[in-house]
Amino acid sequence: MTDATAGGEQVWTGGCLCGGVRYAIDTHPEPISFCHCSQCRRQHSHVGAYTGLPRAALRLLNDATLTWYASSDRARRGFCARCGAGLFWEALDQSGAEDGPRITVTAGSLDDASGLRVERHIFVDHKGAYYDIGDDGVERRASTGETVE
Amino acid sequence: MSEQSRALSGGCLCGGVRFLLAERPDGVVTCHCGQCRRFHGHIGAYITVPRDTVAFDADATLSWYRSSGIAERGFCGRCGSSLFWKGDGKSEIEIAAGSLDQPTGLTTLRHGYVAGKADYYEIADGLEQFPGSSEPE
Ligand SMILES: [Zn+2]
Ligand SMILES: [Zn+2]
Ligand SMILES: [Zn+2]
Repeated sequence: MTDATAGGEQVWTGGCLCGGVRYAIDTHPEPISFCHCSQCRRQHSHVGAYTGLPRAALRLLNDATLTWYASSDRARRGFCARCGAGLFWEALDQSGAEDGPRITVTAGSLDDASGLRVERHIFVDHKGAYYDIGDDGVERRASTGETVE
Repeated sequence: MSEQSRALSGGCLCGGVRFLLAERPDGVVTCHCGQCRRFHGHIGAYITVPRDTVAFDADATLSWYRSSGIAERGFCGRCGSSLFWKGDGKSEIEIAAGSLDQPTGLTTLRHGYVAGKADYYEIADGLEQFPGSSEPE
């Protein structure tokens, strides 16, 4: 469930299956992107679904079982070492980021993702052949960043 | 060898878990339940095969978590890849489709547990949807 603060602003919360990782987000998360890259497919064992936010807006309420894995030389993925839930993706070097460091959070780990819309599919040129995206009307981008039909 | 007859293999992102399948499944069935959503970070997508047809080349980092009173979920403790669902007392194991080496020659067959679907996405591929289990009893 999501709580409402006195100001009426929704507080977004989430976590893993076992509760070893719990978080709150102090901003309205950005729209969701579905990632069809092969790394997401391996780690999430299907399509990745992420919302983005400033790193400073993510508050870890419990991180006892949070573990990080450097999935490439430029990014790391956070998951729960006890229940295996996939939670975060973060670029390693964000020293040049103008608006400060960012983090992406899996949509499925949110307690209630109601109110978040889907913005786009990304890395669709790397999609697994075993499924179809279907006609959902959502923008599709290739790994180059270009919109594809 | 055609894609449709190729032996399937798979594993996690870091290679700590690797497996080979002696049998090919019918196809992929998705799961829209809340537990899969948390475990995988989005929907689940699984093949089902007899447990004794799965041979592990590597399982050093394989961890199991009892996710409910009736099942365990398997994942890699090093890279966090979410890999298996194993129901208590069942002779079969469910393996996450994304962990399979491409190409698989598989297609998605149907959607299960859509009663538990989250509202941030649509199912738009036209495949049959089941409110609960889609497996014939
Ligand atoms: Zn956990
Ligand atoms: Zn990805
Ligand atoms: Zn691994």
